[in-house]
Amino acid sequence: MVTTSQSDVSRSGQPERGAPPPAQRRRRRRRVDPTARGILPFVLPALLATGALVLVPIFYTLWLSITDRRPDGTNAGLLGFGNYREMLSTPEFWNSLRVTIFLFVVCLVVETLLGLVLGYVMSLDVPGRRIFQGMMLIPAITASVAVGLLWLLIMDPTLGAANQLLGAIGIDPVIWLGDPSIAPWSIALVDIWQWTPFMALIISAGIRALPEEPFEAAAIDGASGWRTAWHIGLPLLRPVLTVAILLRTVDLVRFFDTVYIMTQGGPVNATNTLNVYGYRAAFIDQAPSYAAALQITLLVLVIGIAGLFTWLRSREAK
Amino acid sequence: MRRYLTAGVALAMAGGLLVGCGGGDSAGASNEINLIMSNHPWQRAIEPLIGDFERESGVKVRVQTFAEQQMRDKVQLNLQSRSSAMDVFMALPSREGPQFARSNYYEPLDSYVSGAADYDVEDFPEAVRTGMTVDDKQIAAPINVEAVVLYYRKDLFREYNLTPPTTLAELTSTAAAIKDRSNGQVTPLALRGQSTALPFTFGPFLHARGVEWTKEDKVTPNFDDPRAVEAIDQYATLAREYGPDGVVNNTFTQSSALMAAGNAAMMLESSNEVSSLTDPGSSKVADDLGVVSFPAGEAGSRTTILSWGLAISSFSQKKDAAWKFVEWATGAEVQQKLTESGIAPPRSSVAGSEAYTSSLDTELLKEWNEVLTSAQTTGSTEVGPVGVAAPEMRKIIGDAVGLAILGRASAAEAAKQIQDGLAPQLAKNEG
Repeated sequence: MVTTSQSDVSRSGQPERGAPPPAQRRRRRRRVDPTARGILPFVLPALLATGALVLVPIFYTLWLSITDRRPDGTNAGLLGFGNYREMLSTPEFWNSLRVTIFLFVVCLVVETLLGLVLGYVMSLDVPGRRIFQGMMLIPAITASVAVGLLWLLIMDPTLGAANQLLGAIGIDPVIWLGDPSIAPWSIALVDIWQWTPFMALIISAGIRALPEEPFEAAAIDGASGWRTAWHIGLPLLRPVLTVAILLRTVDLVRFFDTVYIMTQGGPVNATNTLNVYGYRAAFIDQAPSYAAALQITLLVLVIGIAGLFTWLRSREAK
Repeated sequence: MRRYLTAGVALAMAGGLLVGCGGGDSAGASNEINLIMSNHPWQRAIEPLIGDFERESGVKVRVQTFAEQQMRDKVQLNLQSRSSAMDVFMALPSREGPQFARSNYYEPLDSYVSGAADYDVEDFPEAVRTGMTVDDKQIAAPINVEAVVLYYRKDLFREYNLTPPTTLAELTSTAAAIKDRSNGQVTPLALRGQSTALPFTFGPFLHARGVEWTKEDKVTPNFDDPRAVEAIDQYATLAREYGPDGVVNNTFTQSSALMAAGNAAMMLESSNEVSSLTDPGSSKVADDLGVVSFPAGEAGSRTTILSWGLAISSFSQKKDAAWKFVEWATGAEVQQKLTESGIAPPRSSVAGSEAYTSSLDTELLKEWNEVLTSAQTTGSTEVGPVGVAAPEMRKIIGDAVGLAILGRASAAEAAKQIQDGLAPQLAKNEG
């Protein structure tokens, strides 16, 4: 649902080649003017629902983070920035921030690059394309808990399939999840397995929707395949790529489920993402206010990174 | 406009990550109680019997079962939001007792117990009752007993010409002999390495040396004692040199899977695991298994014992019906029935009954019962340092021992890290 509204917006607002002249554009925009009379009854339910489900929890969490809520439900009153100060002076916070950023960067880069290649392949008209597309979606629609449990079995150092396969071709067993320097990469591998097909699907749809004229023109001018892809294909794909990257970004910064299932943040905190750390604080250490401060920090991080992408995109659009 | 919309979408998606706890109180009928259980051998054994209780008492029991950690989350959500939607829950007082008691989550059971004529609370051994008591109040009723025991493979021990270790020194030398005589093909000892799970099996190494988690004052950690350093060193050496690959990510699930698949010669685990290890459907070693007590140190064999309990939420609005269920589930008659499903009975009258002892019909089960019985008099009920920050303290210990297992810290450095880490957590008990 989110994807659709996103791409609708970009389609109506994006000044693409051969865009209508300004006057026509203005008229088209007026059609969705949010201040128009009579629109309110239609928008109000959605606004109220959004307010109740999004804004209320955010402000409640914000309130929790600056007070001292006790596990017994009482609140000992305002603390100001005490929870945040404690957070900034805790080495585990900085470690979890580092882990979060590591997973975010590694997964996003690999998923985008692989997604581009796979998306291109999937956009070609080859027999069986639809079946292949359907199969590709399986990892993304499988519940992350199941994915985590499955990979936990595969990555078992002694009994797992991964090391048995490696053993068959003469490679020494890998301690996938029990070695702090390997475990973050293993978690990244699972995420890449799970979400690259999703990226590829969005990208392939984007490629198939591209206009053909610029490519024909490039071919007539004798541009090489690589140059065409780099100078024409990629820039035209950018709006679609931004949406795909934005979606993955939000998910990656709040990385939780597979880590929680597979390592619970271990070994010795090597995969302790901010969200897992926050969960531990809230539900295991019973420190709801400290956990709220962590979650607000996470929220700021998500909005910051998402905002950065949005800003980059609007700058390019100009 | 577009930019705001994009930002709005991002905000909406981000908002989804904030915990919005809903779940209104579904009070239900007045003779209906909600029971939350962990996926556990006791839960599997009691569920088929609940129908009997419903017929006898007229109280309907709605059961919800979750994996252990998910159950804790669910229970805490109910308690933190002071919800009356949960009446009875499975509790682990050794872990969260003081923490929950301080937040007034438990309905004290003392008045219910003293008001029930046939209940006979004295039938529970003292160690078990102590484990269910915080600040002189009984917070839960015991439903089982479990202890850390040493499982071993009789066939492999015969093949390697070994006898099961009886002392801590023999434990290491036996592990070394297995490694040597199997040419590294068999994992000598499966044990826990995952930080929060580790203290349960690490504690006996400490206690057998005559060291408690804390000094007499209960607020000073005991890890400046050279014997604690020795304990860390031995545990880390066993895990690193003779444990399975990737041991720092292992808890009972991985250890049991290794043992059941025939890949390990010994395993340090809870006595509970016996039911899955003797199931021929899931275990290759069902017929070759033996059990002995945790090996002895200078202070003898001092394993860790713990009991799960049934607790009543202080926010329940049906406490009388809830107590009826607790009374039934922890009474002698039901505990007798539960032994048929392999649940070690906490009640002395049941444990000593003819019906129970004659039902232990294999050599393994007889060994198992002996080990468990002696554990109840020699074992320590402190799975980790006792306090309101118990879960956090266990993680501190597990993380530091984990570093020693990985060779990233010496035993002495790990001990110092624990000593420094525990002190502020124990201080929270004072407040």
